[in-house]
Amino acid sequence: MRQPRRYSGLTMCGGISGRTGPHSLPLARIKKIMKNSGEDVKMISGEAPIVFSKACEMFIEELTRRSWMTTLEGKRRTVHKDDVASAVVATDIFDFLVSLVSGSCCSEDITPVEIETLEKS
Amino acid sequence: MVDQEQDGMLPIANVGRIMKQILPPRAKISKEAKQTMQECATEFLSFVTGEASDKCHKENRKTVNGDDICWALSALGFDNYAQATIRYLHKYREAERDKAAANNNQNTADIKSYGGLQVPQQNQTSNLEFRVLGKGDNSLVTKP
Repeated sequence: MRQPRRYSGLTMCGGISGRTGPHSLPLARIKKIMKNSGEDVKMISGEAPIVFSKACEMFIEELTRRSWMTTLEGKRRTVHKDDVASAVVATDIFDFLVSLVSGSCCSEDITPVEIETLEKS
Repeated sequence: MVDQEQDGMLPIANVGRIMKQILPPRAKISKEAKQTMQECATEFLSFVTGEASDKCHKENRKTVNGDDICWALSALGFDNYAQATIRYLHKYREAERDKAAANNNQNTADIKSYGGLQVPQQNQTSNLEFRVLGKGDNSLVTKP
């Protein structure tokens, strides 16, 4: 049986059990993403990815909860991409994600018929 | 999606697991919703890192640390995350200090039992151990 490790108690305060190990997100990957985020990011302390694993977890939880609200409004039980997009648009602090979620959807500006017309001309 | 792109994002399995744990047991999540969440979480990471990194740059510091992340979270409006992560960071630092203290005690015990150097029995004080290791002064060891 897997024994709780030193930091599993820390994850309990976030409501996540220690089942996935001390941290629910891989620290090496977090560090990689941090380094990729900008040229200025040269050195990262050991504790930064650990702090981020907690913050990302909370972010995912909040966005999921808000998405689920939209799912329920639509009387569904499956969370769809559009539910996540709606939650982003409805929350001020998630403004930085608006272009990301609207960009991943199909553009509604040009219909397929109009695209054909443009190509022919 | 190419594998290389996936490498630059948080793993979808972990993201999906966190989502599942917060939802009611019978709720389902579409694959696209998980992918979108994966992208959003990765963007969140980059966004907050950028803010933290800017702060370090302005203060002429090279290393982004846990406090910078907490500060950036607050600066960007994620106050509740900031408070929780500050508490988490303090607990982590306490745990690290306890671990370091436990390691130091263990090392001291190892020094006393280390048979490589002949430490005179009547001089088995912490001072002597320190000097033997720190300076490698053989005159102390060979002294009768």
